Amino acid sequence: MIDLLSGYAIFSLSTVLVFVALATLLHLQFGLAGIVNFGVVGFWGLGMYAFGILLLNFQLPYFVALILAVAIVALVAFVLGWVVLDLDSQAQLVATLAFAAVIADLVTTEKWLTKGVVGLGTVPHPFGGAQSALWLLLILLVLTVGVIVYARLLGRSPFGRLLAAIRDNEVLARNLGKDTSRAKLIFFTLTSAGMGLFGALSAPVRQFLTPDLLGPGVTFSVWIALIVGGKRWPLGGLLGVLLTIFVFDFLIETYLRVPSDWAQIIPILKLMLYGVTLVLVLLFRPFGLLGDRRQPTSHL
Amino acid sequence: MSNNQITLKGVKKSYGGRVVSDIADLALGRHGVEGLIGPNGAGKTTLMSLITGKISADAGEILFFENGNRHDISGKKLDAVARLGLVRTNQRIQDFESLGILDSMLLSVVQPAQETVLGLFAETALRQQAHPAINRYLEAFRFSDPGGYALSAGEKKLLDIIRCLLLKPKFLLMDEPTVGLPQDQTDKVMEVVREAARDDGMSVVIIEHDLDLIWNVCEYIHFMADGRIMAQGTPDEVRTSTMVREKYMGEGDA
Repeated sequence: MIDLLSGYAIFSLSTVLVFVALATLLHLQFGLAGIVNFGVVGFWGLGMYAFGILLLNFQLPYFVALILAVAIVALVAFVLGWVVLDLDSQAQLVATLAFAAVIADLVTTEKWLTKGVVGLGTVPHPFGGAQSALWLLLILLVLTVGVIVYARLLGRSPFGRLLAAIRDNEVLARNLGKDTSRAKLIFFTLTSAGMGLFGALSAPVRQFLTPDLLGPGVTFSVWIALIVGGKRWPLGGLLGVLLTIFVFDFLIETYLRVPSDWAQIIPILKLMLYGVTLVLVLLFRPFGLLGDRRQPTSHL
Repeated sequence: MSNNQITLKGVKKSYGGRVVSDIADLALGRHGVEGLIGPNGAGKTTLMSLITGKISADAGEILFFENGNRHDISGKKLDAVARLGLVRTNQRIQDFESLGILDSMLLSVVQPAQETVLGLFAETALRQQAHPAINRYLEAFRFSDPGGYALSAGEKKLLDIIRCLLLKPKFLLMDEPTVGLPQDQTDKVMEVVREAARDDGMSVVIIEHDLDLIWNVCEYIHFMADGRIMAQGTPDEVRTSTMVREKYMGEGDA
């Protein structure tokens, strides 16, 4: 067996888990509630940098910094959501995309806080010792499974039904007395804070934080994975990430021995294959590989 | 007789200089089941949208009285008005594409306390609690596949009305309830609505072009034309009014 749990394998698996969690959170926002969030990397990156800054610049205790970082993301998501959630989906798309761009720019320009392109110092693992990276991987695994279980339970709960109703016909839901603005705002804040949590936990995975981590590629990868897997399903994000990011960033990069001339081509090839996969899925299975979700409550 | 009433004073709405609603003084709901009739374009649907807050008036005051409480609902949001117990059924077919018939009904019945981000296990209790009310409607109205989706236009229309009734409203506005419904279903809807009006004190205002239904069901009628209330009275009074005949039914008809 090839060094299955080499340092690099643990790093790649941790990254893959973070993407699974982000895609599942996007399933909740977009697939369930119909909120168009093209700023995934913004919430993720804000959590990551906020955590790193609180930990390194302000020397806060590890878990205090973690909780504060998530709280900051929640606050920002609340304000952004308050402004954009009642607008139409195009406006949501542009606003969230712009938000993510602003975060990336601020991280680059505010050198006094983030050290800009030089990079913030090294973020340590939550637990020390020889197995510290493995512990982090386990924490990510537990939390990611937690998000998927939450998504599954929520989809069958009264609040999940309300979100589906809002996605289908918001005016009709309001006609039935549903405070749809409030429901969307609470849910967007919660799920975006979740993205921030996985961002904060990505900081020790990445260890050395630089602004180029915050490019829109993260958002697009998450969207492609969710759409390929099936946006309406709690497992859609997992399936999509396994077929895209896992194959390239884990299997190929970790285990495939490629001639060094090819090494440059693989990332380009990856983007092309992502694109082709997305087009094929949209053409032949517009609701993703898992398909549309039409299973009504059939009895009480 | 019901204690629920809507009053409108000086309510105006115009689109680009065309006045679509100009209600000087109107009280709805004093007589249990009331009718709102008038020619196409008279502003009946606009009036309902103004009351429920779907659109906002340019001027005027709309008050809602229920069980002795007074609510100023001018400028209030659609969902806030609905939560006060003032609900409207839709003229055009409105549905939740991904919700089945039972899901749609459960959405109406659910209490806000059960409908929260962390209420992951509230579903079982909700279904038990909703069982009697939902079964009552499933027995009264035959859906071709009660465990599935509302398929035809008629079933969707019916579901829209049932969703509103499940909210147990204090005041129900019905915008052309018979359009798209077969006669026997219409009769049943009216039976259920009258029952709720009688037993629960629900006030009802019905917009309808099916005048037979209006004469049979309504105790009091408001006649509207050109955005104004032109005549009011009992069915007999309105039916015999020369002005109503000229403006709406055409001379020699009726």
